[in-house]
Amino acid sequence: MRDKMLETKLRLLTLQLESWKKLHDLITYGLDKAKPIVSAEQERQFTEIRANLLQETAHIFNELGILSELSGKAMNVLQRGVSVRGVRELSNEDVRRLEAEWNAVFTKLGIAQGQLKSRRKHLAGQNVLSYFFERLFRRPAVAQ
Amino acid sequence: METRLLILNADPVFQDRALSVFDTLEEIEIRIVRSLPEAISVLLEESFDALMVEGEAALALEQATNARQHFPSLGIICVVPPRYGSQINALAEQQKIGLLSSAWSCRRLRRELERFVHSLEMQSSPAAEGVDPCHSLIGNLNQFSAAEILQMSCLSQRSGRFTFKSGRGNSEIYLQHGSVRHAVFGSLEGESAVAEIFRWRQGRFYFEEGIISQVQTVDRPWAHLLIDNLQKLDETLELVSV
Repeated sequence: MRDKMLETKLRLLTLQLESWKKLHDLITYGLDKAKPIVSAEQERQFTEIRANLLQETAHIFNELGILSELSGKAMNVLQRGVSVRGVRELSNEDVRRLEAEWNAVFTKLGIAQGQLKSRRKHLAGQNVLSYFFERLFRRPAVAQ
Repeated sequence: METRLLILNADPVFQDRALSVFDTLEEIEIRIVRSLPEAISVLLEESFDALMVEGEAALALEQATNARQHFPSLGIICVVPPRYGSQINALAEQQKIGLLSSAWSCRRLRRELERFVHSLEMQSSPAAEGVDPCHSLIGNLNQFSAAEILQMSCLSQRSGRFTFKSGRGNSEIYLQHGSVRHAVFGSLEGESAVAEIFRWRQGRFYFEEGIISQVQTVDRPWAHLLIDNLQKLDETLELVSV
């Protein structure tokens, strides 16, 4: 069985994770002192990814129900990382914060993706009938 | 086997009319990219059954036409807003690109997309495994590209049949005295089939000496084919680096 809502969430989450990974690649490049040249193309890619994240993050986090938890951290990353050159000129303290906040967002998204995939795998082994039977006869949660 | 569909959509989060249809379809694996260079790069690296472009009519068709030039055997459809005009319709028909309207009702859009996916399933034939060890030349395309193998065989004036087997299907190239005489891959024949095989980076091949084709679909010397196809490949790779 396939749950449309779950598939939509998974699709949005995958897109979001992809953008965060690409952003990280460019941040890592910017912080690498051994690579002194930052091309206009790399700056364009960075702006493109940042623009996508800025407009999509709130919507996707809201759909996933993690807006309050992650929105602040995500915005901090996007506000600190203005460009590849900008990242290169950040102080050590700011770089440390940027990396910690990127990691917090990435970790949470990764975990959420794993949970959704697990749910999909579980659903794949069920048909509509068994799904509703399971819901009907599931033991209700008891408040302690 | 799941059908693999690559979707090119610049705004997949907010403009997801067709994408949301795929959330309900079984037996299909989708991958979403946001730009044409990214799409070309993914198509070069992995095997997909089709490409779907979703966006404004003119831009979507331009991207689809571009992809068609580099991947002649790929199934391509565009999902575009309505009222795109007869010019776009004619161009799509000429390039064998399917046009679907994003304004159609969910039910109709779903039906048309299902039909498209079904047509892909009918086309895709699983690559037959197993290569006879008696063949005079056997190998893997990871190690030698099709261009290198054909170059070597043409230089030594071979006559026979090359069979290439990959996830995309099987294809055959017939040589006669060091020239390509006939090539076939699915519905493609002649030079377009040779162009397609040139791009393969995965799969296996073997050569059977002495099998000659009665049909002749290629009449240019090998050197011309090689130069043209390498140039095309360069153009494709250039597009990726844009």
